[in-house]
Amino acid sequence: MIMDMVSVTHLSKSFESQPVIDDLTFTIPAGARTALFAPSGAGKTTLIQILAGLQKPDKGTVRVNVDHPVVLFQEPRLFPYMTVEENIFLPYKLHDHAVNSETLKAYDTWLDVCELGDFIKHYPYQLSGGMKQKVSLIRAYLPNPSFIMMDEPFQSIGRQAKKEIIAHLLKNYPDMTQLLVTHDPEEVQYMAQQMLYFPTAVLGKYACVKTNDKKFQQFRFSGFELPDVETDSTSAVQA
Amino acid sequence: MTNTRTFITSLRNEGIAFLLFIGGWGLVSVFYPVYIIPSPLAVVSAFPGFLPEGFAFHLAVTAWRIFLGFGISFVLGSFIGMAAFSKKWEAPVNALMSAANILPGMILGVIFLLVFGIGSLTPIVLVICMTLPTVTINTVNNLSRRDPALEQYLVSMGASRAHFLRYIYLPSLVPTLLSNLSLGLGLAIKVVLMGEFIGSQDGLGYLLNVARIYFNMKEVFFYLALLLVVTLIYQACLTLLSRTLLKKFFYAD
Repeated sequence: MIMDMVSVTHLSKSFESQPVIDDLTFTIPAGARTALFAPSGAGKTTLIQILAGLQKPDKGTVRVNVDHPVVLFQEPRLFPYMTVEENIFLPYKLHDHAVNSETLKAYDTWLDVCELGDFIKHYPYQLSGGMKQKVSLIRAYLPNPSFIMMDEPFQSIGRQAKKEIIAHLLKNYPDMTQLLVTHDPEEVQYMAQQMLYFPTAVLGKYACVKTNDKKFQQFRFSGFELPDVETDSTSAVQA
Repeated sequence: MTNTRTFITSLRNEGIAFLLFIGGWGLVSVFYPVYIIPSPLAVVSAFPGFLPEGFAFHLAVTAWRIFLGFGISFVLGSFIGMAAFSKKWEAPVNALMSAANILPGMILGVIFLLVFGIGSLTPIVLVICMTLPTVTINTVNNLSRRDPALEQYLVSMGASRAHFLRYIYLPSLVPTLLSNLSLGLGLAIKVVLMGEFIGSQDGLGYLLNVARIYFNMKEVFFYLALLLVVTLIYQACLTLLSRTLLKKFFYAD
């Protein structure tokens, strides 16, 4: 039996009586890679913040089966007075985890993939936006968490670099539960096994589409619409 | 090499400030007789003949009072600022310190003279009282301006209070400490001199008072120029520190 990593039931959240999440129910099984695709201004970031325990919902229940899911925020959120290397190893310091040889090997591989080898002693103010985002990605993935949530993590990274990073992720973290918020169907195609498609600016009803399904290709190449898929908040999301 | 260049650049700015001061002083001195405003040249040519006996001792006494008074104020103000921030007392502490900030130094100096008598205590207590509000307000305000995005990251990572102190609060204090050292010390110099002027029998403020009474204006202007040079060199050192060792603390991500 596959255990659910995330279970959300009848979740609602409003800001000044403007609903951004309305009666949302879904589950994400452990090990699934799920993308969340919704118009701008829908409560995608709010949903991630609620799942991470950074905001409280107005209604509904949220269950996440890890203590502190790793969040990759839209902005890199690097500590400005720390070098690239110090930022990357910060989670180890926060959790008092030792850095072993395996971690160092994975770290070196990450630096190669992200082409950051020459910048480990640099400070964030000396890096470009894309480089900062890569540092933030390494910081999130290196400790190999069981669940990671990403809020548009590739937005400042070039197309080729993005493809290489995603290939590295899929190869090295195949069993990690991942929730990806993105506006880019290409990222959904590369990264996710299924997509929760929200047609309106309020997260509520959605359609769940497998990325290897014909419907997803139709979605990708027909202006990001799913005309023949009826939205149904009770759709089962499965790995 | 970079540090040397930074220091030279910094000194160049201070040098320009010094030259502007000398230029302004020289210009004004043209319109006044030498016994009211002597020119910089007149002061330099009379140097060191006008210096009193024990000048070095007086200078050392003033430096010690500034160091001690401002040191106490700096530590106490930083501590009160941090405590107010952590206990969420920013608003009342800011209000109290803003009120204290407008107390006239001269009046306080006279009160302290009556309470503590002539000696070191009057200028030292005066400098503590006059610089404490500035240091505290600066500390509270800068702590309030820390980056909430980084705090949120630490919350998401399940960080402890000690982690917040180490990774958010203390680093956000570094620019504050430097601005306190910069603004506060300038104020401390003025206040110590005023305290010595009012209630002391030694120190540079005392010498200024004596020189003023005897209308020895070359001596008065020499002391003022000396204070300016010391302050400018001190500022240059702080600038050097902020552009090299502490540079990383002055950038937001």
